[in-house]
Amino acid sequence: MDVALKIWRYDPDSGDRELRDYELEAPEWACLLDVLDLIKDQQDGTLAYRKSCRMMICGSCGMRMDGRAVLACKERMLPIVERGHVPVISAMGNMPIVKDLVVDMDPFWNKIRRMKPWLEPGYDEVLERERIVSQQEMNVIQKEALCIMCGCCVSECNSMESDPEFFGPAALAKGFRFVGDTRDQASVERLEDYNDEHGIWDCTRCYFCNERCPKGVDPRDAIAKLGAESVKEGIDRDMGAKHAKWFVKSAETTGWLRETELVPKTQGIVSAVKQTKFAIGLARRGKVPPPVPPHVAADVGEARALHQLVREQGREGALGIVQGERALARIEHTDAGGARRDAPEVTPREEPPKAEG
Amino acid sequence: MLIVGAGCAGMRAAIEAFDAGADVALLSKIHPVRSHSGAAEGGINAALGNASEDDPEKHAFDTVKGSDYLGDQDAIQVLCDEAPGDVYQLEHWGAVFSRTEDGRIAQRPFGAAGEPRTAYAADITGHVLVHVLYEQVMKRDIPTYEEYFAWQLVINDDRCQGVIAWDLLNGGLKTIGAKTVILATGGAGRLYVGTTNAYACTGDGMTMALRAGVPLKDMEMMQFHPTTLAPTGILITEGTRGEGAYLLNSEGERFLKRYAPNAMELASRDVISRAEQTEIDEGRGVDGNVLLDMRHLGAEKIIERLHGTRELAMTYAGVDPIQEPIPVRPGAHYHMGGVDTDLDGRTELEGLYAAGECACVSVHGANRLGGNALMETITYGKKAGRHAADWALTHTTIEVPEAVEADAERDLKVLLDRTDGERPWSIRNELAETMHENFGVFRREDQMREQGEIVSGLRERYERVVVDDKGDVFNNDLTQALELGFLLELAQCMVVCGLARKESRGAHARPYDYPDRDDENYLKHTLVRWVAEAPVLDWKPVTMTKWKPMERTY
Amino acid sequence: MKVAYYKGCLASLSAKELDTSTQALAPMLGLELDELESVTCCGAGDIHEAEPDYYLHLNARILAYGAATGAETLMTICNVCTLNLRQANFQLLNDSELRARVNTNLATVGVPPYEDDIEVKHLLWLIVEDDGAERLRQVAHKGLKGLKIAPFYGCQILRPSKLLGFEDPDRPWSLEAIIDACGGEAIDYPAKIKCCGFPIIQAREDVAMGELIQPIEQASEAGADAMVTPCPLCHLSLDAWQSKLKATTGRDFKMPILHLSQLVGVAAGLEESELKFKRHVVPVDPMLEKLEV
Repeated sequence: MDVALKIWRYDPDSGDRELRDYELEAPEWACLLDVLDLIKDQQDGTLAYRKSCRMMICGSCGMRMDGRAVLACKERMLPIVERGHVPVISAMGNMPIVKDLVVDMDPFWNKIRRMKPWLEPGYDEVLERERIVSQQEMNVIQKEALCIMCGCCVSECNSMESDPEFFGPAALAKGFRFVGDTRDQASVERLEDYNDEHGIWDCTRCYFCNERCPKGVDPRDAIAKLGAESVKEGIDRDMGAKHAKWFVKSAETTGWLRETELVPKTQGIVSAVKQTKFAIGLARRGKVPPPVPPHVAADVGEARALHQLVREQGREGALGIVQGERALARIEHTDAGGARRDAPEVTPREEPPKAEG
Repeated sequence: MLIVGAGCAGMRAAIEAFDAGADVALLSKIHPVRSHSGAAEGGINAALGNASEDDPEKHAFDTVKGSDYLGDQDAIQVLCDEAPGDVYQLEHWGAVFSRTEDGRIAQRPFGAAGEPRTAYAADITGHVLVHVLYEQVMKRDIPTYEEYFAWQLVINDDRCQGVIAWDLLNGGLKTIGAKTVILATGGAGRLYVGTTNAYACTGDGMTMALRAGVPLKDMEMMQFHPTTLAPTGILITEGTRGEGAYLLNSEGERFLKRYAPNAMELASRDVISRAEQTEIDEGRGVDGNVLLDMRHLGAEKIIERLHGTRELAMTYAGVDPIQEPIPVRPGAHYHMGGVDTDLDGRTELEGLYAAGECACVSVHGANRLGGNALMETITYGKKAGRHAADWALTHTTIEVPEAVEADAERDLKVLLDRTDGERPWSIRNELAETMHENFGVFRREDQMREQGEIVSGLRERYERVVVDDKGDVFNNDLTQALELGFLLELAQCMVVCGLARKESRGAHARPYDYPDRDDENYLKHTLVRWVAEAPVLDWKPVTMTKWKPMERTY
Repeated sequence: MKVAYYKGCLASLSAKELDTSTQALAPMLGLELDELESVTCCGAGDIHEAEPDYYLHLNARILAYGAATGAETLMTICNVCTLNLRQANFQLLNDSELRARVNTNLATVGVPPYEDDIEVKHLLWLIVEDDGAERLRQVAHKGLKGLKIAPFYGCQILRPSKLLGFEDPDRPWSLEAIIDACGGEAIDYPAKIKCCGFPIIQAREDVAMGELIQPIEQASEAGADAMVTPCPLCHLSLDAWQSKLKATTGRDFKMPILHLSQLVGVAAGLEESELKFKRHVVPVDPMLEKLEV
């Protein structure tokens, strides 16, 4: 088949960035990676990109196609060619570019290391055999254990774009791999650490990471699991945690969110007072519903009773999210889920990659 | 001490060396977690006894028989004895194994094993092990020369004293002196079109050792994995057969009943690959493949235990194994041969060690059991790490002569300066295609001879190979050209050894000229050295302790 | 078509204009709204993150009461409610053990069990599905007279696509189809599918502002007269917090932000008493004036 694509080249010596066109013939089974290999072999040996396994397990070939991160070895070219589309290939986002499609992964690895990503068994004695752990316990971290450290999630993280120091989805998912591992005895210390300024509560819940992850790790869900575990352990010093807890309180008392009180409850009275001028601006429009009389939903007693009931049933913390994973795993092969209705062709945007650093 | 290669063997060696108190560093042309060990799927063998009554003795016998009696029995005994402890150590470090009903490490049946002893983590065991080892490397903060392409060994005073490597990120040759060097660079599947191996598997360490005068053992023994996808060779794990999948020909027949009536789909890999190739050659294939049928396993089991396999089949073969069988064929997978070492990973050259796939102790002989490779990387990685560390701690000097660096710089300059010649890809593709054709599952005298000539011709063409990228930053055009150089010399050695072994044993199958195993004349290892730009053949006896060779049927 | 109507928290409180415009618009679209009373907040990402088991039960309760109306569709008017309810729904529909457990708990507190299945759909999808854009042209008789409208999807109506699945998350088209059917000109810009920052606007205001600036700035530079969004939380960010961008950028964008039902409502000739534009923080008048001309 005839393939055409455009690649954003970056020359580290001159600092020049250039969008170049490529055309070639490739076999129908070719993935993006195979196409890049053909270009590098036969047209331009200076094209730089990482690769190794070509079977979605090593994590080397993360890059952006049409502005969104993919594994080059996973993207089949045939559907793209059949659509008559010319994709734009660029390096992953949120990481400095070394050359062409190669990014500097040091910041990525530094954040991983920050999580103290090794098991803390909490004892020194040597066990003779394996620790007894049930499959159900291991299932709690099975998705996080799938992570191949490709960086696709980090590339698209909206929070990290705005706050480069955010630990990020890959690091936090790795963090949950340990917090959720019953063999690890340092969960509480970890949670204290991950609740820091650029940690769990920095996540903006854009779900780009879940969407981009080529392995189904669902880092956003891992972050939610960390949040759930933090609240379960009583770690709620962060405004994000306080904000979340107020939703629970609202649901069981008035049903609907107690919006106005949300501000002081999240930020504290002092900080809330600083927002007064802003709040008055909103209030004039009626955007600050008076907390009294409370807007109460019908039969809210049921919501309160439900809360009591589920609290006694021991699926607190991350387990509350893990319990739904069996169902969600089935989506991929039932007709019910993930149905796509075809979009009319939209012009691809040719975004230049951001300057590094 | 320096460890070249940061897969399971390299990282396990580094951890052991660090814990022994040595000043150790890892060096790898790719980031450690990108290592091909991570692509291993099915599992790691050890006589844990969690699925049935088992013991290291049985494991050892299965391995010896599996090796078609070419394996060194003392090395095998050691592996099987130490395996359980080494697997428990991995679990203690946090490896995410699948579990039995009573919470112990789950074990599944695997090819040519008498008991189910392959400990697994769904179908991503290699991935799980690479990550747990890297976590322990990070915990110890072991320095790693990431994206350094090792090119030559530094030999001085009859010792290996370091490595000369190309710094991929910044450019330039860097020399790293070390009292001991462990090669853990994996195999050379890229010699073949249709291989399970990553692009990085180009036999680097084996050729570096070869060029340094160290002999390689059993080089003709390349294992062809029975279930790989066409045309790429992407691996579909033996674990599918461990869970009960069938292999069918175009007539829907479970054809293995004619080749291995007892073990059927769980016979030894060489037996199955030969059976498949025969079926395909005799016209009972489907477009050059046979069919791996898992439908009867049911959706639940496939999603729970073979999720990765399903992803691979859907992405690369366009089939959902829940609904349809997967077309598979034999693909180059694992090199039983490699750098000749003793039971501590030591080579003939003082200061140089090897472990993992690039080494040949030999624990696998003429054919490897599935699940034993990961075990070898851990157990022998550990031993090499320990011994190399002890040596380094008890010897003091390192001396790297300037001439060595200067020579390397000069040679590299010749390659980089060349502006007209042939691009590596045409040589590389021709090598892979002809090896597949002439040195594959079935071998013949005339084809092997022809292959020897072809490789010689390719090596001549390689003298004129041209690198497009003359830059410093991330020049993998250069490193890929150097990798091709490694492959060519290995190919030349393999062919010589293949011709010399006039029998069929394990993965070396010569059904047309020497269809039987000849213990009287060939119960010995081939040993090849590089002298004056050519392979020179020798032999080495097999160590036998308990088991005498018997007829090998499954 | 009768639908169970779940309006969510904001439409009940600070974004009343969303409810009034939706209720006024519905009959014109052939939708009969059966408003659910015995429901609570869907929990947003917050209860999902703080007490996920409670989140599942609260949403199961909403689904149960929705199904009890006999309608086949539960209509939402907020991205976050849509994701939350659909996620809970998938978990219950695809895991009978989990559903049984949840139903037992619901029964214990007096809620009818969730038995007949119901499907959760955002008003956005109900409008455009099955050639809806064509029908919309009849309804939008007053039209938008070529006004340039920048659609802002936000996050949770598109991602994770395996749970939402209405359109391609990277190349969505529903808002554009609506704008076009209403006689407007849809503006394209990269940030239309990115995050407005609302979930962290209190806990991490500066990070959220770094996100919010993108759609506002890009829409403004593309010459949009107004923006439209299907999510009241995005609406709060884009509208109520727009003034905060002045502090960080020195620019006063004055970009009017409309709820989906308001945009269609304007084109369909709804009155101010139903649209309630005066509740917006950024005045919508400049846009309305352009329409009068």
